[in-house]
Amino acid sequence: MRDYSDKMYAICCRYFMCPDDAQECLQKAFIQTFQHIHTFKGDSQLSTWLHRITVNCALMQIRSHKSKRLSSISNLDDFSQRYNSYGERTVFSDFQGNNIENMFEKIELKTDMADLIFQLPEKYCNVLMLRDIQELSTKESAQVLAISEGSVKTQLHRARLLLTALLKGSGKHVND
Amino acid sequence: MLMIKRLMTKYVPGMLTCQEVDGFLYDFHQGNLSFSQQFTFKMHISMCRECKSYVNDYKDNIRLSKEGFVIAEPIDKVPEALMTAILKARYSHDAAVKVAQDHKD
Repeated sequence: MRDYSDKMYAICCRYFMCPDDAQECLQKAFIQTFQHIHTFKGDSQLSTWLHRITVNCALMQIRSHKSKRLSSISNLDDFSQRYNSYGERTVFSDFQGNNIENMFEKIELKTDMADLIFQLPEKYCNVLMLRDIQELSTKESAQVLAISEGSVKTQLHRARLLLTALLKGSGKHVND
Repeated sequence: MLMIKRLMTKYVPGMLTCQEVDGFLYDFHQGNLSFSQQFTFKMHISMCRECKSYVNDYKDNIRLSKEGFVIAEPIDKVPEALMTAILKARYSHDAAVKVAQDHKD
């Protein structure tokens, strides 16, 4: 357990600035590990399995504290960019046709960026955290999330597009 | 400029639409496009202000995402007290499970 604890703690520290929150996350991850170790079948590396548990615990802990004003973003699963007859972008909208760029007002970057990412739908938050923040490869991310590499690429691209639309509509303010 | 772009998209072979640019955006950012694909991609964004801005925003937001998670202090090893507490809880749990099983038998 000690062999993996530092790596798991490093993952927790990526999600939580506060050491107390990171340690709470690590404890929960170990509890989950002890409770479910008998289900580990060896079809992936143990480190990958532990990584997945740690990520899931972190996200559950974050979502238990999430801000209510951002819950509309968490429910965004079906969205798409619309185009006109010239193939030019028109609206980035959800399945009801609501313009996503108007959903979120002002975001103060560097203070709210992490919070915004945590509010995204879970699959998009997961893949953004693994690929763009923790800089895992597509293959490693696919193993942690137990999805195909193609799904990682698709979900990452959609996550980035969603983030771009939300930030565009917010009127970005870069803090000094 | 918009009219020129629309005319070129319609009549010049290989010219991308903004929709097609979106389709290539991920691979462009990852450096996965072939030379000819890169050429047509860059040609479009040189002519399309919206796409140029869109591509820059896409790239900037990835950078901003990373900056939102920069850890100020170096990551320490797991505090020893925490590790001791976790192991103690583990052994207590195992002991409790064993007692329950023995009682059942």
